[in-house]
Amino acid sequence: MFENVPDNGLKYVGKGVDRIDTVEKLTGKALYTCDWLVPGMLFGKIKTSPHARARIIKIDTSKAEKLPGVHAVITGNELDYRMGLYLVDKHILAKGVVRHFGEAVAAVSAESWEVAHHAIGLIDVEYEVLEAVLDPVEALKEDAPLVHPDLGKYDHVREAFTPVPGTNIANRMKYRKGDLEQGFREADFIIERRYTNPSVQHVPMETHVSIGQWSVGDKISIITSAQSPFTVRNLFAHSFKIPHENIRIQIPYVGGGFGGKAGIHLEPLACCLSRKSGGRPVKLQATREEEFSLLPCRSGLVYNIKTGVKKSGKIVAQQMTMYWDAGAYADYAVNVTRASGYSAAGPYEIPNAWVDALTIYTNKPFGTAYRGFGHVEFSWGIERHMDLIAKTIGMDSLKFRLLNAMKPGSTTLTGEVISENTGNVTRCMEAVAESINYGQLTGAEKAREKKTGRKIGKSVVALHKAPAMPSFTGTSVILRMNENGSVSATFSLTEIGAGTYTSVAQIIAETLKFPIEKVHVPIEIDTNHDPYDWQTVASKGLLLTGNAAILAAIDLIRKAYEIAGQVLRASQCDLDHDGEKVFLKHHPAKFVPFSKLAVGYAYPGGNGIGGPLIGVGRYCAQGLSNLDKETGQGNPALDWTYGAHGLIVEVDPKTGAYTIIKVASAFDVGRAINPAAVRGQAIGGMIQGLGTAMFEGYYYDRAGRLLNPSFTDNKIPTSLDIPEEVDAIVVETPQIDGPFGARGVGEHSMIAICGALGNAIEKAVGANLTHMPIRPQDIWKALQTGAKPDSPGISGDVVNFAEAPLCSTRRDSGKHKKR
Amino acid sequence: MLQTFSYVAPDSRKDLLAILNKEGTRAKILAGGTDLMVDIRGGKIAPAFVVDIKKIADLKGVSYSATEGLSIGAVTTCIELVTDKTIVAKFPIIADAASRLGSTQLRNRATIAGNICTASPCADLSCAMLALGASVEIASMTGTRIVKLADFFTGVKTTVIKADELVTRLIVAPELVNAKFGMEKLKRIKGHDLSLASVAVVKTGTLLRVALGSCAPTPIVLPDFPANAPLASILEVAGKTIKPIDDVRASKEYRKMMIMTFIEQIILRL
Repeated sequence: MFENVPDNGLKYVGKGVDRIDTVEKLTGKALYTCDWLVPGMLFGKIKTSPHARARIIKIDTSKAEKLPGVHAVITGNELDYRMGLYLVDKHILAKGVVRHFGEAVAAVSAESWEVAHHAIGLIDVEYEVLEAVLDPVEALKEDAPLVHPDLGKYDHVREAFTPVPGTNIANRMKYRKGDLEQGFREADFIIERRYTNPSVQHVPMETHVSIGQWSVGDKISIITSAQSPFTVRNLFAHSFKIPHENIRIQIPYVGGGFGGKAGIHLEPLACCLSRKSGGRPVKLQATREEEFSLLPCRSGLVYNIKTGVKKSGKIVAQQMTMYWDAGAYADYAVNVTRASGYSAAGPYEIPNAWVDALTIYTNKPFGTAYRGFGHVEFSWGIERHMDLIAKTIGMDSLKFRLLNAMKPGSTTLTGEVISENTGNVTRCMEAVAESINYGQLTGAEKAREKKTGRKIGKSVVALHKAPAMPSFTGTSVILRMNENGSVSATFSLTEIGAGTYTSVAQIIAETLKFPIEKVHVPIEIDTNHDPYDWQTVASKGLLLTGNAAILAAIDLIRKAYEIAGQVLRASQCDLDHDGEKVFLKHHPAKFVPFSKLAVGYAYPGGNGIGGPLIGVGRYCAQGLSNLDKETGQGNPALDWTYGAHGLIVEVDPKTGAYTIIKVASAFDVGRAINPAAVRGQAIGGMIQGLGTAMFEGYYYDRAGRLLNPSFTDNKIPTSLDIPEEVDAIVVETPQIDGPFGARGVGEHSMIAICGALGNAIEKAVGANLTHMPIRPQDIWKALQTGAKPDSPGISGDVVNFAEAPLCSTRRDSGKHKKR
Repeated sequence: MLQTFSYVAPDSRKDLLAILNKEGTRAKILAGGTDLMVDIRGGKIAPAFVVDIKKIADLKGVSYSATEGLSIGAVTTCIELVTDKTIVAKFPIIADAASRLGSTQLRNRATIAGNICTASPCADLSCAMLALGASVEIASMTGTRIVKLADFFTGVKTTVIKADELVTRLIVAPELVNAKFGMEKLKRIKGHDLSLASVAVVKTGTLLRVALGSCAPTPIVLPDFPANAPLASILEVAGKTIKPIDDVRASKEYRKMMIMTFIEQIILRL
C-alpha cells in the first residue's frame, strides 16, 4: 500500500537482508516431508499404467494381498471420489479406463518400502489397449476418440470456464477487442505463423511426498510437500464431503514447487490407503521417474498468430489461437488457458484483437501450473513472431517492440487501461538493450567471432504477467507479541524458495519500526493454527500477504498504544514508539517497554491490564471482476509485472552448437523489498527458462508412452550451463496497492527468455525456428534450407535510447561475471 | 524395483574367482557401481550376488614399464585417471577421456573396468582406449587371457567376458606413448551427459588411429591410417563404417554430421 508509506528513510525495505531460512537449509537442519516419520506409519506405493489409453478388464490383487507385511490394496473400483480444481474430472485411481501413460491404477500400503514395492509387482492388471489421441489439434477432429465421453456431466466452476461436451475441449476462452476485420483491412502487411512447444517437467529437488492419516470420526491429518495448505484442505473437504475443520494440513519445509505442488496430488490416495489400513498413517513418496508421468507436467502448446501491421510498424490487428495440450485431466490447464488468453499478445498494445484459447484433452500425462502459468509457452510464439514481423516490414525488432509497447493509456486485451503506476516495460527493454550493447558488436565480440569462427547474435524481448487467481483472493497475517517484546508472525504462504518469508519479515520490521532480529517467522504451516491464505502461486504472495502484514503490524501497535496510553496516562495520539518501547512523543524519558505490554501489563500494585498483544491483518484483492464469457472483457489483473531480457549468443554456423554469452534481465518490480531476493529470482528463473528453451521436453512413442521419464534423457540446466555473464536489473515504478509499492516477480524471470534465445540465434546464423526446445541439431536442420543470417544483432538500424521517455529510475541489483 | 541380493566383498583374487566360478550368471561384479546400481534399481538385472571387487588390492593402481607399457588396474577410478602423473605424462588422452565422463561425483566412483565392461556404445573411455590399441586382461580360475579391446565388444552392452571371468586390468602397449591426440564429445548440456557422438584420435610420426563412439552398436575403431593420410580418405572410411541411430538424444543425420565434423576438427588440429 504505497500511499501509506514514506519513500525514504527505510531501514529494511530495499535492503538485501539474508534469508531467514539460510542456516537451517545450509546445515541440513530443515526438515522436509520426506524426513518425517509418524508413529505407526506405513509405506505406500502406486501401480501405474503402461498404456496411454486402455480399458481395464480386470485387476487381480489377490497375490499382493497375501504378501506378509501388506496392510491394504486398493483399486479404482472401491473409490468413488472425483477430484478437480476447476473441472472435477479425475478419479483418485483410474476407474474402468486409463487415460495416460503413468496413471495410477492401484495402490498398496505395507510395513516397509520394500514390501510395498514387491506387492505392486504382484498386482496383475489386464488391459484392452485403445487408440490414443496424442496431438491436440488432431484431438479436435470429429472422429477423434473422446478422452472424457462424460465431460457434460462433470461439475465445474461455471463463472470462469466453458467445457464443450461431446468434444475433447475441456475449456474454451474467447477474448474480443475492437474490430478485427476492420483492423486487418487497415493493415499493410498480414503475417501469420504457428509456434509449438512440448510438455515439460518442473523437476523440483524434492519430489511429491504426502503422509495421510484417516482417523476415527473422519478426522484427517496430512503432512505434505505442497504449495497451498488451504487449497489442499478445501479440495479434500469437497471431494470427500468432510467438514473443513476435521482436516488438518501440515506443511514442513518444501524442496521446490514451481507450480507442480500448487493443487492436490498424492494426499487423497495416502488418506484412502490409511482408511483401509485401520487408520494408520501412510506415506507416499514419488520417485523421480514418477514425477514425470504419475504427477503432472506443464502443458504443451500449439500457438497460431496472425498479425496485421502498418508500414509504420504499428500493429493494427492480431488473431491468436491457442491449442493447449492439457493431457488427460484439466487440473490447472483450464486456468492456464484463461490466464494466457488475456495476456496472449505479450506487453504490446493490440487495438483489434481476437483470442480463442482451447484447453484440449489428450491421452498424455496432464498439465498443471508451472512457473509462468502459460506465459513461458506463449511468449515463445509471441516473441518469435514479433521478430518475424519486424524482419518482414524491414524495421529493427527492438524499435518495433518499443513502438507497440504497453504504456499509460494503453488498453489490455480485456479492456483494462494501463496507468502510470502499472509499470514501465519500455524502460525494462531499454535497460537490457543498453546492458548487452544491442544493435552492434563490440570490439571484443568481433575479435571473438574471428577467433572462434562462430557468429554472434543479440536480441531483446519483453514480457508481462498478472496473477491468475479468483477476483476475491484473500489472505491474512497474525502477529503475536512474545514475552520479551519480539513478535512471531504466522501466515499460510509456503516458502517454496522464492524468499517471500524474508521479504514479509522485512515489511513487518519496517512497519513496526522493530529491529528485524525481533521478527520471527516460522517456516512450517499448520492449518489448525495458522490463518487462511488461498495458495502460494501466481507471484501474488508478496503483494497480498505484504499488505496483510502491514495491517497486522499497524493493528499490533494500535493495541499496544491502547494499553500504553493508560499506563503512561496519555492520549494515544501523543505516543510514539521504537523497537523497544512506547514513549511520550515529547517526553521520551516517560516510556513503557513492549516486554511489559506483551502479555499483560502489571501496575506497581499488581493490578493487571491488557493481555497478550495480537495484531491481525487481512487483505483481499480489490477492483477485479469476472470476464465476460463471449468477449473476455473485464478486469482479471491484480498487478502487471513487466520485464525484458537481452541475450547474446554465439552460434557455430556449421553444427548449430551455441553458447550463451550474456543475459541481461530487467523487471519493473515496483519496489525491490529485498534486491538480493529479486536477483535470485531473476537469475534462477532465467536459467529455468533456458532449460525449457534449450533442451527440456517430453518425447513420446506412437503409442503415447513417455520415452524420457528420467534425468538420463530429460536434461535440466546445471551450473555449467549458466550464461557466461548475467546482469539483473530492477526498474521501480511503484504499484499503487503494493506493499511499499512492490509487485511480484517470482515467475516473470522465466518468461520470454526462450524467445530471446530463438531470436538471437536467428540473428546470428539465420535459422528459422518455430519449435522449442532449440537443440543444436534443430538449428543445423533449419540451416540446411539455406537461410541467410542478418547482420550482427540487428535487422534495421541502431536504436537511439535517448529518444525514449524515462519516467522511472533504473537500479542495478548487482552484476555477476563468471570466472 | 527394489531387489534383494547378497553383497560379498572378497579380499583376494582367488576368493573372488571362486565365487564367480560357483555362482556364474547369478553373480554381478560391483566396481564403481554407477551403472550396476542403476540397472538393479531399474529392474534390468536381478543378481543373487553382488560381488564387490574394490577390496582386492592388486586390482588397483597404475604402473608403466618400457616393455609391457601402461597397466591400469580394473578398479582405478576416473578421477585417478585424470590425476595420475604417469597417465597425464605418457597417455594424456586417457585423462582427457576420463575427465569428460559424467559428473564429479560419478568420476569419483566410476572405474575404468566398469566403463569398459558396461560396453555401452557411448562409453566415454572406450574410444580413447580403442584409439590407443589397448588390451584387456581377463582372469578366471582356469587362468588368464588377453583380448584386444577391438575384439572385446560383441554388441550393445555385450562383451566376450564369460560368467566366471573378471577383467583385472587394461594394458596399453608402449608404442603410442606420448602420441598426439584429440577428443570430442557431443552432449546436450554443458553439465554431465552421456555422449551423443564421440571421436578419439591418436597420432604418431607414422600412424593415425581413429575411434568412434555412439555411432554403431559398439564403440568402434577404424583401420589404422598412415600419419599423413588425407582427411578425405579418413572421412570416407568413417562414413562407410558408422551406423548411427535415431533416438530421443539425436537424429542419425546429426550424429553422422557431428562425427564427420569432429574428425575433421581433430585432424586439422593435430
